Amino acid sequence: MIKKRGYLQISFAWLFAIIVGVFILFLAIYASTKLMKTEQTTLDAKTGKEIGILLNPLETSFETAKTTFFTMPVETKIYNKCDDYGNFGKQIIQISQKSFNKWTETDVDVSFPNKYIFSERETEGKKFYIFSKPFDFPFKVADLIYITSSKKEYCFVNPSDDIEEEIDYLNQKNLLLENKLKEEGNDCPGGSIKVCFGSGDCDIKVYENYVEKNGDKINFEGDSLMYAAIFSDKDVYDCQLKRLMQRTKHLALLYEEKAKFISRTGCHSNLNLQLLSSSDDFGLMASIVNDIKEKNEDANCKLW
Amino acid sequence: MIKRKKAQLKIQQMAFMLMAVTLFFVMVGMFILVFKFSGLKESATLIEEKNAMLLVTKLANSPEFSCGEAFGSNRINCIDSDKVMMLKGKIAKYSEFWGVAEIKIRKIYPNNENIICTPGNYGNCGIIEVLSKDVNKLPPASNFVSLCKKESYNDEFYDKCELARFMVSSEDKR
Repeated sequence: MIKKRGYLQISFAWLFAIIVGVFILFLAIYASTKLMKTEQTTLDAKTGKEIGILLNPLETSFETAKTTFFTMPVETKIYNKCDDYGNFGKQIIQISQKSFNKWTETDVDVSFPNKYIFSERETEGKKFYIFSKPFDFPFKVADLIYITSSKKEYCFVNPSDDIEEEIDYLNQKNLLLENKLKEEGNDCPGGSIKVCFGSGDCDIKVYENYVEKNGDKINFEGDSLMYAAIFSDKDVYDCQLKRLMQRTKHLALLYEEKAKFISRTGCHSNLNLQLLSSSDDFGLMASIVNDIKEKNEDANCKLW
Repeated sequence: MIKRKKAQLKIQQMAFMLMAVTLFFVMVGMFILVFKFSGLKESATLIEEKNAMLLVTKLANSPEFSCGEAFGSNRINCIDSDKVMMLKGKIAKYSEFWGVAEIKIRKIYPNNENIICTPGNYGNCGIIEVLSKDVNKLPPASNFVSLCKKESYNDEFYDKCELARFMVSSEDKR
């Protein structure tokens, strides 16, 4: 009986060792989990920065649109955020990747003040298509970048000849033309996003200077902003447009000063850029852009 | 009494051993962290360097620098010197815009050595220092460009283009 009681007894040394052992194990597991999370966040931030840097070569175009794609090793979500605070605002990218069948949580913002990405707030996939097009207003302001996932197909119905030619030339796999599909005896694939030019039973309708999408009306001026309105969410579009107008304003100021500086050589441009350099209202600026553009083209001494 | 003392000694031994084991793991963990974070700085600098290399062509063709059609048709790698001189005066607004530490344009021919351009010596200078931050800089990534400006002769203006090197340096974060 006494022997049995002794058998069940745990010495203080064992108890101490078990408690401290459990504490050490807990600490080790906690530290490695934290380290894994930090590592994942680092990877997300690094991927975001690298995506931004990869976009640089796309931003050297003049007239034509350019397309390319990149493939991620795992399923990835690209969050497109925009901040219009300050002189030029910021383009913010956040990356979340699938790890052990779970999306990584990240709050690390990778920001680029000199980029303008138009996409949905959240683009998910493994393969992403990017195409860029210069935005002139009336001088070149920036190259706009459109990001779409290969999972989403856009089918363009009755586009103008210019747009049809451009999309055909781009040869981007997820941008389809209904006319071309019909020639091959096919129709817009089920599940694709139908983009109609004019009225029709479509997800996105493009009119002369506005796009109707998810019940929203998005105003645009020129082809580059039209694509922007098609591929992006309204709040992303509005914020990026505001940033573009901020840059337009600063460029107009630069051209105003250049005009004064080169007038010493007898090169007079006689352009009135005051409205562009003092306002960042899109509607107001759009109304005078064509006039300024024509005047610069006809001028003996071109400013841009 | 002796037995109790022996047990106490054993507990002390075990406590010291466990403390040593804990300290060992903490030290290893700290070493890994330091190693990881030094790698992080390294990769941040590498990314910045890569950015500067790709940015150099992009920058030369960005609206703040490029000639556009001001000197004839649209040309790639053509920098509007008059515009850049005006940009120099407004650089405070653009200091964080491109994410680089230094932007310089050095004339190659005709060579005007190391004379920094100001509006006063505009015709006879060799370097346009557009942006220069007070930080540690990596060696510059560069590209050859044509540097064009409006000049006048006998009351008539004409376009003058010279060969130059466009240099972009990023910050060394190491």
